[in-house]
Amino acid sequence: MSIRDMAASKRRRPVFFNLMQIQMPVGALTSITHRVTGIFLTLSVPFSMYLLDLSLQGPQSYEQVISLFHKFAFRGAAIIFVWVLAHHLLAGIRHLLSDVDIGSQLPAARRSAWFVNLGGIAVALLAAGALL
Amino acid sequence: MHFSIFRYNPEHDEKPYMQDFQVDLQPTDAMLLDVILRIKNFQDDSLTIRKSCREGVCGSDAININGRNGLACVTRVRELKEPVELRPLPSFPVIRDLVVDMTRFWKQYHSIKPYLINDEPAPEKERLQSPEDREKLNGSYECIMCACCTSQCPSSWWNPDKFVGPAGLIQAYRFVSDSRDRATQERLDDLNNDPYRLFRCRTIMNCTEVCPRGLSPSRAIERIRLRMLNVEGHGGGLALHRVPTIK
Amino acid sequence: MRKNFTGLLAWLVQRITAVYMLLFIVFLLAHFLVDPPHSYPAWHGWMMGSSVSIATVVFFAALLAHAWVGVRDVILDYVHAMVFRVGLLVLLGFGLTALGVWVMRILWMERA
Repeated sequence: MSIRDMAASKRRRPVFFNLMQIQMPVGALTSITHRVTGIFLTLSVPFSMYLLDLSLQGPQSYEQVISLFHKFAFRGAAIIFVWVLAHHLLAGIRHLLSDVDIGSQLPAARRSAWFVNLGGIAVALLAAGALL
Repeated sequence: MHFSIFRYNPEHDEKPYMQDFQVDLQPTDAMLLDVILRIKNFQDDSLTIRKSCREGVCGSDAININGRNGLACVTRVRELKEPVELRPLPSFPVIRDLVVDMTRFWKQYHSIKPYLINDEPAPEKERLQSPEDREKLNGSYECIMCACCTSQCPSSWWNPDKFVGPAGLIQAYRFVSDSRDRATQERLDDLNNDPYRLFRCRTIMNCTEVCPRGLSPSRAIERIRLRMLNVEGHGGGLALHRVPTIK
Repeated sequence: MRKNFTGLLAWLVQRITAVYMLLFIVFLLAHFLVDPPHSYPAWHGWMMGSSVSIATVVFFAALLAHAWVGVRDVILDYVHAMVFRVGLLVLLGFGLTALGVWVMRILWMERA
């Protein structure tokens, strides 16, 4: 192989990076969901502020907001929102505790990751029970 | 036992492919490296892998086994799910088969100045260190720079040139914790002044999951952050955890 | 911008705002479970009372700061071209500032 060939092969070195073939430990799932829920929450801030604004403007607009909660589709969205918020909150608490060395060792971290993943769903189910 | 191994030879392959091998395990085949070498010796001698100590201390044979990084020489082959899929470390450029280009990895390691910085006049013998101070290095000095952690870290995937990575950072912690070092503040400032060098870490903990020595780079990084706030971690080093089995 | 807003400061802001928001949400939930407002006057009176409205404005300030650090992290991770990175960060900054001004108007403007 000539020097030129070797230089060329260096330039086009392939990389193994198929995310479907790389293992995702439970903590990694918690983490990426934490990020995705964070983006979702940020995007939902304007609409939430709009609802807050409406609800404080006067009795009629307050009733408008209340009536939204009677719509089935809105309740469904609210339950999803509760899951998103609950997951982000629980994962966030897990991070805060890890920052002060609580549960930052691997076995504890795996357990807390499972707890966060399932806990968020549990809270959403509770909300579903209350709202539906 | 059925193996599927990543193959790529720059001299005649356009792109990588997976090659299947059937191996009859011998009683002496305890570890994955034993089998890889027997495949190389008896089935296809072009199969290329880095290997040296065969006992988990040199870090040469770090590869991706069934999706999870590990050292081939300390991975029990009989516990692996079949077909055993062997690939090179994720996100690192592949030189050939299971051998990857570690240049970027070493560059990040060198960037944290992995040497003692002490300009005080040299004593007659050694710079002394009490046993308590020596203990503070436990859990970070044992790193063998195999790159299992860094190549499994999503933050390193997205920003390999700017984020130091778990291996570099656990070594940074090793030097920050060394009582003989006099550049602690400079080390901490270097990691703080840039939003990338340390703070891309999201404590995903993939690093700790895959470390074949049972180390916790994620915990070392948390400790560095606390040190930046002038909070010393409670005395003693970082504990090692039992290495999870690769299946 | 990079040298001043150090990694540690951003990280601290994210953690401290998180703690405040957590406490606020717990307080909010507890209040709604124990003594939920049943009418507009009750809701308006409670929300616009000085302590609740101040705590709420602080909550939103914390929320916007927290969102700034979080979304900035996402942008820094995935957007590599300098032009797009700076552009998105500026957009983010303006967007969050606008939301901040809006919440001040909602909670501090006199309403009937």
